[in-house]
Amino acid sequence: MAKKEERSDGGLVQGALDMLVLKTLTRGAMHGYGIAQFIHQISDDVLRVEEGSLYPALHRMEVDGIVASEWGQSENNRRAKFYRLTPLGRKQLARKSDKWNRLSSAIARVMLSGAGPWPAQ
Amino acid sequence: MIFWNRFRAKLKALVRRRQLDRDLAEELQFHLDMRTQAGTPEARRQFGNVTAIKEACRDRWILTSLELWLQDARYSARTLRLNPAFAATAIAVLALGIGVNATVFTLVNAVIFKNQPFAESDKVLYITSTEPARGGDYPGFSYPDFLGYRAQSKAFESLAAFELNGANYSDREGFAEHYRALLISANGFASIGQTPIIGRDFLPSDEAPGAAAVVIVSCRVWDARYGHSPAVVGKTVRINGAPTVIIGVMGPEMRFPGDIDIWRPLVPTPDFANRGNRFLTLFGKLADGESLSSAQAEFSTIAWRLAREYPQSNKGFGAVVRSFNQFAVRDKIHSMFLAMLGAVAFVLLIACANAANLMLGRAVGRAREISIRVAIGAGRWRVIRQLLMESVMLASAAGALGWFIAIAGARMFARAIENTGPPPWLSFSVDYRVFAYVCALSMASGILFGLAPAMRLSRLDVNAALKDGGRSAGTGLRGSLLSGFLVTVEMALAVVLLASAGVMIRGFLATAAQPIGVDTRGIAVVDVGLPSSRYAAPREQAAFFGSLRKQAAALPGARAATLASSAPGMGSMNYLYQLEGAKPVEQRDIPRVDGIVVGGQYFDVLRTGILRGRDFTEADGGVPTVIVNQLCAAKLWPGENPLGERLRLGHSTRGQAVDLAAQPWLTVVGVAPNILQAGAGMEPLIYRYYRQEPQWSMVTMVSAAVPAETLGNGMRRALQSVDAEVPAARVDTLDGWIDQNRWPLRVFGTLFATFAAIALALASIGLYAVMAQTVTRRRHEIGLRLAVGAGKSGILRLVFAKGLRQLAIGLAIGLPFAYALSRVLPRLIDIPAQDIAGILLGAAIALSAAGILGCIVPALRAIRVDPAITLRHE
Repeated sequence: MAKKEERSDGGLVQGALDMLVLKTLTRGAMHGYGIAQFIHQISDDVLRVEEGSLYPALHRMEVDGIVASEWGQSENNRRAKFYRLTPLGRKQLARKSDKWNRLSSAIARVMLSGAGPWPAQ
Repeated sequence: MIFWNRFRAKLKALVRRRQLDRDLAEELQFHLDMRTQAGTPEARRQFGNVTAIKEACRDRWILTSLELWLQDARYSARTLRLNPAFAATAIAVLALGIGVNATVFTLVNAVIFKNQPFAESDKVLYITSTEPARGGDYPGFSYPDFLGYRAQSKAFESLAAFELNGANYSDREGFAEHYRALLISANGFASIGQTPIIGRDFLPSDEAPGAAAVVIVSCRVWDARYGHSPAVVGKTVRINGAPTVIIGVMGPEMRFPGDIDIWRPLVPTPDFANRGNRFLTLFGKLADGESLSSAQAEFSTIAWRLAREYPQSNKGFGAVVRSFNQFAVRDKIHSMFLAMLGAVAFVLLIACANAANLMLGRAVGRAREISIRVAIGAGRWRVIRQLLMESVMLASAAGALGWFIAIAGARMFARAIENTGPPPWLSFSVDYRVFAYVCALSMASGILFGLAPAMRLSRLDVNAALKDGGRSAGTGLRGSLLSGFLVTVEMALAVVLLASAGVMIRGFLATAAQPIGVDTRGIAVVDVGLPSSRYAAPREQAAFFGSLRKQAAALPGARAATLASSAPGMGSMNYLYQLEGAKPVEQRDIPRVDGIVVGGQYFDVLRTGILRGRDFTEADGGVPTVIVNQLCAAKLWPGENPLGERLRLGHSTRGQAVDLAAQPWLTVVGVAPNILQAGAGMEPLIYRYYRQEPQWSMVTMVSAAVPAETLGNGMRRALQSVDAEVPAARVDTLDGWIDQNRWPLRVFGTLFATFAAIALALASIGLYAVMAQTVTRRRHEIGLRLAVGAGKSGILRLVFAKGLRQLAIGLAIGLPFAYALSRVLPRLIDIPAQDIAGILLGAAIALSAAGILGCIVPALRAIRVDPAITLRHE
């Protein structure tokens, strides 16, 4: 698992992953597989969350108190670890989605700012 | 918020490590199974490296710093366990160092820090007066001054006063006893917040002039005389012959201010009104918001005011406010204990240097291990930290041992001074302060002795160490320089300590073993104090002691008996004198001389004889005579024959003025040899005859033809036959009594000798360890030399030269410091500085002997090296 500093995107993707997971959990408690499936389906197969990123993120969020976990029965009656959002998690979600919105609209503004490269040639 | 969550979660994970791992495995397995179920055969491959994912997840739960510490700790423990010899030696050496330090700290703690065993006793301060122009002892306050201070002072909740006394106590329940009594103002106990456990406290009416005599007794008296019976309140006893009613009993811990048996109210008598009578010590509990310095400032101001209002009596007098420890323990003792603290600090430093050297010696073996660790990525700091942890572990184990050494040491010390009458508030208990001290000391010494080896080891040339298997690591110039430096430091410290100990011991010997000038063997003594009520008249006092002396002389086995106000070596009184024909002088400038009051045949009993003239006899009862000793004769009538000369003597009691003109002229009838009475040396002394100056307390001395101890009972019976109601304060032999007075020599002398011995042993071990390492390291070279033809003596010279060189450098550095210290110490401790050169020489020789001893075994081992074996092992 590469350290955050070494990713070229500067942690952008990790931040987005957290946000996606938290948003997913607003639908209710889910186990890790369920979260990955949900994101994959809802994004029309575009976003595929790797287990190598998902589980460390889930555990990190659990240690930080953003999500809480509980062992329960899965759909097919197997023992699985379910994650749910905590109040702190909801606050984090709001903050992260806020930041993300601002970021993406800023990017959109730049991209929609007229034809041609900049500075003008 | 997140920080706390993290901390809590990681702490929990610390405890439930295995459960965590199981859950993680199960969680990932679930995901994997679901994936497989969903179809794709490469499910597992796509899943990725399960182990890596597990690691990543587990990492989130780890308290990294704690993990690292635990890891280091386990590693250190294992390393030490695998090297029991080294560990045991290091622990032993350090335990000695920490142990003696803890012991001395316990003593210092008891003497200098601890306070009296009642609530808020640290807020109770004691005030005495002082005459800065004259210096010396602190006199007390007069009664009017006390009232003045009490009215004007706001620093204390309530100001009280006491005077130390002695009292003869008798009732029907037991033998007459002489108790330590305190005259205390009625608000005394209230001001320190103490009340009797049965009965009542003093009331202001108890200290009104003419009030009925009352007394509060201590728990000890209550137990000893009255068997804890509650009926004691209201009982009438006789104190100094006067009927007194017991009104209360104080609690078990209460001996205020120190070893007091009974307390009586401070009832003013007419002579109290005199402002020149200074006999009261003031005390009180600080009011809220006040401190020692604010109280001192206030009292100095009041003193100045009083000096202005009453210049006759109070001019030049000030007030000194002190805490209990400052008040009760003389400065000299303070310095003594601090000197001990310094000495053991040296011992600890030597022990640390020793341990550091031992650690360095292991560098040879550890070079490989450390270079591997560094090679795979351990930071230098991590290595240092782990090595320090080893040394701290060793030091902690040593600290635990040292704790027990302290307990044993404190007990031994307490037993040693048991019979010398230490104050009861002195309890050498090993309490939490000592515990904290031991912990701090262990920590500090662990880091201290571990630091140098750790820094040295962590800076290894990794390449070189790995290449040749670590054989040459630690042998670098740097390594042996450090090692040599440590040994040199050890030697220097040791010689300073030895010299200081020598100075202390010599000083004690000089003061305590002062030749008294008398053969004190074979003399039995009984010390008696008369109750002032029944022996108020001086004539009666003289008659009593006259009879006692006669009875004592008549004892079977007694050769002769005499009296003395103080036995030889036990102190003296002070007289103002005026020689015949001398000019009259101001009150304050009247010359003084020490003296004692003796009975007839005094110099006969002491077997010194009289040098000129004659001894006192019964005939001197009516004639005003005096005997002087040689020093006195030389001082008062230099170069002349003192026999027949006349002088006048007077006492100043309680600071009162004395009118010498009213005293009779005394004629010198004899010159006696110099006998030590008080102080650190012989002084001029005057001897008066007891019938001319009767005393209420005298020692009866009997020169015995039989062993002196056997006369004890006879003396008691003689006393009883003269007056059954008078108790003997002491029955002993003169030898035994004087010996007991010399306890500082025995106790402190032994202590310092012990420290010196430990330092020698440590220095010897230190040199031995270093030499042994050297020999081991250079075995190869030695084998080579032997093979090439060097004789055994050559090898011996090689080893000894190295060792002695370090010894010499150590001495060279240490001796100047030792010299400086031995000039300063005696002044601090107030003991004579004698023979410093001899002491330094002795210290150097002792250390050299210890050093040579340390070199012998390694040297012998060196010459037994078999070149064939060592060369083959290349």
